[in-house]
Amino acid sequence: MIRALKLEWLKVKNYRVFWILMVMYLVALLIIASAGGLFLEWLKYQGADFNGIDPTILPIFDFPDIWQNITYLSTFVKIFLAFIVIISVNNDQSYSISRQNIIDGFSKNEYIASKMMMIFAIALLSTLFVFLAGLINGSIYSHVWSISVIFDELEFLAVYLYEIIVYCSLAFLLSLIIKKAGFVIVALLLYTMMFEPIAVAIFENAPYFRDGIMPELAQYFPIKSLNNLIKVPFGRYLFIEIEDNVSIKAIAITFGWFVFYLSSIVYILYKRDLK
Amino acid sequence: MNKILEIKDLSKNFGKIKAVQNLNLSIMPGQVFGILGPNGSGKTTTLGMILDVVTPSKGNFQWFDEMPNVEARKKIGAILENPCFLPYLTAVQNLKIVAHIKKSGENRIDTVLKQLSLIDRKNDKFKTYSLGMKQRLSIGAALLSDPPVLILDEPTNGLDPQGIAKVRKLIAEIAAQGKTIIMASHLLDEVQKVCTHFCVLKQGVKIHESAVSNALGEINLVEIDSNDNQTLKSKLKNFKGIESIKPNGNSLYLSLKDGFKAKDVNEFCFKQKIVLKKLLTHTNSLEKEFLKILKEHD
Repeated sequence: MIRALKLEWLKVKNYRVFWILMVMYLVALLIIASAGGLFLEWLKYQGADFNGIDPTILPIFDFPDIWQNITYLSTFVKIFLAFIVIISVNNDQSYSISRQNIIDGFSKNEYIASKMMMIFAIALLSTLFVFLAGLINGSIYSHVWSISVIFDELEFLAVYLYEIIVYCSLAFLLSLIIKKAGFVIVALLLYTMMFEPIAVAIFENAPYFRDGIMPELAQYFPIKSLNNLIKVPFGRYLFIEIEDNVSIKAIAITFGWFVFYLSSIVYILYKRDLK
Repeated sequence: MNKILEIKDLSKNFGKIKAVQNLNLSIMPGQVFGILGPNGSGKTTTLGMILDVVTPSKGNFQWFDEMPNVEARKKIGAILENPCFLPYLTAVQNLKIVAHIKKSGENRIDTVLKQLSLIDRKNDKFKTYSLGMKQRLSIGAALLSDPPVLILDEPTNGLDPQGIAKVRKLIAEIAAQGKTIIMASHLLDEVQKVCTHFCVLKQGVKIHESAVSNALGEINLVEIDSNDNQTLKSKLKNFKGIESIKPNGNSLYLSLKDGFKAKDVNEFCFKQKIVLKKLLTHTNSLEKEFLKILKEHD
């Protein structure tokens, strides 16, 4: 595993594009993880009124709620990490590097492991960043401050890590199928941001669908099920009951997708003649 | 170790195209084995299969008697078609990747870069290299782990005459160390100069296999010319080493019996007081042999 990871490290260590994307991602992450306050300011400006309460005093950075809030927001930029994966897999394919790695003495399993280890490493880095952003924002704004509340609900960070790994595996699979990086990026972006959300919205809300099995079916979609892992947490500030636990059902569904992505990757790489 | 490589009944189809059909081949230690064939005859596909990057449709192969393929590949230095390196990395950084995969250590990187005259450019990005330099770097990568077996697919592709000579010399040196080389080429001259054994593929079928020396054999064809070929011809009929005489343009082509050489013809003519304007021994070239083999299988 370390050997597989080291191969990937040698490939990206001196790759400027990788580091530029990584820095851009981490900056975006930092902004979005810390932007809750700005968002509330915006709500106030828009004239939002929570039963007469000024939105800016909402305790969104209070421990332990901060973990769900911040991981929920951070998942919005996970597509940048997917871009890094797409570019890395695409480089290997277009320059025949994967073929040469195998000729030189990697097994196909080791090759897959090297990509998965890279996904794990960048997901871990991202999670650490979110954790740090949480600690810093929390220490500035939190009204509650004790070890037990700080480290309560850390399962949201674990689920965040898992969500990124599954999503990046989808990106890995897509870039094996569609060999042009540009196409994969556009396809993944459109699917994640438009096609599936629209399909889900139709399934859940259209008059002919909403009473049948369709709304339930929509929960099994690849992106929707990932989004279900960490639910929108902000309802609690409107005194609406929210899902403030990690959904076991969503974990099961996404794990099914994860297994599907991995086995498709293995199938494709073993079946395909590498060019 | 008995055999370096044994290929049994290997076939590959791309849809309806039969790229390689029922190929059987054994390669022994120390052989420099040339795989010859016109473009599209299945040379690269065959090499791709034995390197596990092309999935065979049928058949199997075995490296080093029973060694697992992944381990075997670490003992093989191979280049397949185009040089494959990351364009944004330097030669040294690219070779570090190869060394890591082969578990061979990085201490030979400078050695191979020197060997292939790339040492001055070692910290330049691969994308700035010319085609010839790229090709040399890929040969360097194949040599990096000092492997007992080399697989070279068109190793002199894209090189200038100086580079070709250098690579040929290098291949000869490596072969002299007792290493095994498997080389695909359509440059017959190249195979003739460096190979000990060869096979010919045509549309995926092996149509010939032999040692290079056997194929070239001894041929006793001598081309001569004098001021008076009529007299020459009639005199030569008394030469005991003669097999047949054929006029060809201005010259005469003599087939000699075994044991007779051009020197004997010259000696004979000298005694007959005929001065030859031209005396030329024809050696058999692999090119002729190759074309003959291909023709036989048309």
